[in-house]
Amino acid sequence: MNSSVPERAGRVPSRPRPLVLGLVVLALLVAVAFAFRTPPVAQPVAFNHLNHTTDLKLDCLFCHKFVNKREHAGLPDARVCGSCHLDRAGKSAESRRVTALLTAGTPLRFNKLVRLPSHVYFSHRRHVAIGQLKCAQCHGDIATSVVPPSRPLVQIKMKVCLDCHQAKSQSLDCVACHR
Amino acid sequence: MTRWGMVIDLDRCTGCAACEVACKSENNIATVSPEQADLGRTFSWMKVMAQVNGDFPDTTMRFMPRPCMQCDNPPCVKVCPVSATYLGEEGIVGQIYARCIGCRYCANACPYTVKYFNWYAPEWPETARHALNPDVSVRPKGVIEKCTFCHHRLQRAKEEARSDGRELQEEDFQPACAEVCPTTAIVFGDLDNPRHRVHELKQDPRAMRLMEELGTEPKVYYLTPRA
Ligand code: HEC
Ligand code: HEC
Ligand code: HEC
Ligand code: HEC
Ligand code: HEC
Repeated sequence: MNSSVPERAGRVPSRPRPLVLGLVVLALLVAVAFAFRTPPVAQPVAFNHLNHTTDLKLDCLFCHKFVNKREHAGLPDARVCGSCHLDRAGKSAESRRVTALLTAGTPLRFNKLVRLPSHVYFSHRRHVAIGQLKCAQCHGDIATSVVPPSRPLVQIKMKVCLDCHQAKSQSLDCVACHR
Repeated sequence: MTRWGMVIDLDRCTGCAACEVACKSENNIATVSPEQADLGRTFSWMKVMAQVNGDFPDTTMRFMPRPCMQCDNPPCVKVCPVSATYLGEEGIVGQIYARCIGCRYCANACPYTVKYFNWYAPEWPETARHALNPDVSVRPKGVIEKCTFCHHRLQRAKEEARSDGRELQEEDFQPACAEVCPTTAIVFGDLDNPRHRVHELKQDPRAMRLMEELGTEPKVYYLTPRA
C-alpha cells in the first residue's frame, strides 16, 4: 500500500511537454488560417490561358472586351468561345467537352477571382488605357496559366493600391477610391 | 486648388423638393418605417426646410434646401476618433463607411444636423430595391452617412476628362440636386475657380452662410431673399 504512493507520485507530474503543446497550438492556428482563407473559385471549364494567349496569339481584349473602355474588364461568354470551338471539335478531352457544351447551348458563366467590395471605385480604363499599366502588375502571371487558378495569384488589398499610388504620386485621398 | 462648393438662391427656390427626390434616388437613401420616422430616424441628405411666416390667411412660406455644408473647419471631423470623416483635398468632407465605428460623435457635433445614423440595415420598397445606383455603396447598419456632393460623380468625371486629355469643366461634375433643380436655384462648382459661376455668386451682397458665427466655414452659400 505505502510503497505504491511514491510510485504513482513519480508518474503524476508528467506535465504536457512544450513540443506537444506547440504542435497543438500550431495546428489550431493553421486550421483557423485555413478557415479564413478566401474560398476557392470554380470555373465551368478548365480554360487554358497559355495556349490561347501565347500559341494562338489572341489579344486580352478579345475576351476581356471592356478593359480599355470601362470600369470592369469583363469575362467572355459562350459566344466568344463559339467562334472557334463550335466549328471543330478540339484535340484534347477538355476542348472536346467545350464543343459539346457549346453545341448543347449551355451558357458558360466564368467567375471572378478578384472582387472588390462595393464601397470601392476601381476602373480598368483608368489604369490600363490611361495609366498604361500591365495586367501582370495587378494580376500576376495569369496570362500563362494552363488551368484556371482557384484563387487570385496576387491579393489586391488596399495596401497594394496605396503602395503603387504613393510610388507613382497618385491620389491617396480616401474619397478618390471610396464611395 | 479646387474647393467644391454650392450657392443656393433662395429667391429662386420654389420648394418643389425635386432636389430631395433626386438625392434620394441618386444616393440609395433608405426608406424607414413610419414608427422609425416618428423617432426622427429618416434620412435626408438634402432636405427642403420650410418656414411659415404670419398668421392665416396672411401667410408666406419660405424654403431652404439644406445639404451637408461641407465645412472648411468641420466640427464633425474634430470628434471622429477613427478619421472616418475627414476634410478631403478638394474640400469635400468624406465619410468612409468601412472605417466608421458608429460612435455617432460626429452626428452630435454637427450644428447643421446633416449626419444620419443607420440604426438598422437599409430597407427599400420592393420596386425600388432593383433600382439602386451601383456607383454608390449601400451603407450597412451601424454607420453614419451624409451628403458627399455626389463625389462618386466626381470620380467618373475626372476619369472622363483625363481620358479626353483635358481639364475638368464646371459642367463635367454636378451633384444630382443641382442637376435637377428646375429653377437653377442650386449652383455648384469650384469656389476658387473664376470660370465657375459659384466664384462670383458667393461674393454677391445677398450671400450668407448658416451659423457663420460658429467658425465652421461652410462651403454652401445662400443668397437671401430680396423681399
Ligand atoms: C481563336 C479561336 C479560339 C477561341 C476564340 C477560343 N479557343 Fe479554346 N482553343 C482553340 C484552339 C486552336 C485550341 C487548341 C486545340 C484544341 O485542343 O482544340 C483550344 C483549346 C482549348 C481548350 C483545351 C485546352 C487544354 O489545355 O487542353 C479549352 C478548355 C478551351 N480551348 C476553352 C476555350 C474557352 C472556354 C473559350 C472561350 C472563353 C475558348 N477556348 C476560345 C481556339 C480557340
Ligand atoms: C480566349 C479568351 C481569353 C483570352 C484571349 C484571355 N483571357 Fe483572361 N480569362 C478568360 C477566361 C475564360 C477567364 C476565367 C477562367 C480563368 O480564370 O482561367 C479569364 C480570367 C482572367 C483573369 C482573372 C480575373 C479575375 O480576377 O476574375 C485575368 C486577370 C485575365 N483573365 C487576364 C488575361 C490577360 C492579361 C490576357 C491577355 C494576355 C487574357 N486574360 C486573355 C479568357 C481569356
Ligand atoms: C491596377 C491594377 C489592375 C490592373 C493593371 C489590371 N487589373 Fe484587372 N482587376 C483589378 C481589380 C482590382 C479587379 C477586381 C475589380 C472589382 O471586383 O471591382 C480586376 C478584375 C479583373 C477581371 C475580372 C472581371 C472584372 O471585370 O471584374 C478581369 C478579367 C481582369 N481584371 C482583366 C485584366 C486585364 C486583361 C488587364 C490588363 C489589360 C488588367 N485586368 C489590368 C486590378 C487590375
Ligand atoms: C501598379 C500601380 C497601381 C495600382 C496597384 C493601383 N493604381 Fe490606381 N492609379 C495608378 C495610376 C498610375 C493612376 C493614374 C492614371 C492616370 O490618370 O494616368 C491611378 C489612378 C487611380 C484613380 C484616380 C485617382 C484620381 O486622381 O482621381 C483611382 C480612383 C484609383 N487609381 C484607384 C485604385 C484602386 C482602388 C486600386 C486598388 C484596387 C488601385 N488604384 C491600384 C496606379 C495604380
Ligand atoms: C487607392 C485607393 C484607396 C484609397 C486612397 C483608400 N482606400 Fe480604403 N480601400 C481600398 C480598397 C481597394 C479596399 C478593399 C480591399 C481591402 O479590404 O483591403 C479598401 C478597404 C478599406 C477599408 C475596409 C478594410 C476591411 O478590412 O474591410 C477601410 C476601413 C478603408 N479602406 C479605409 C480607408 C481610409 C480611411 C482611407 C483614407 C485615409 C482609404 N481607405 C483610402 C482602396 C483605397
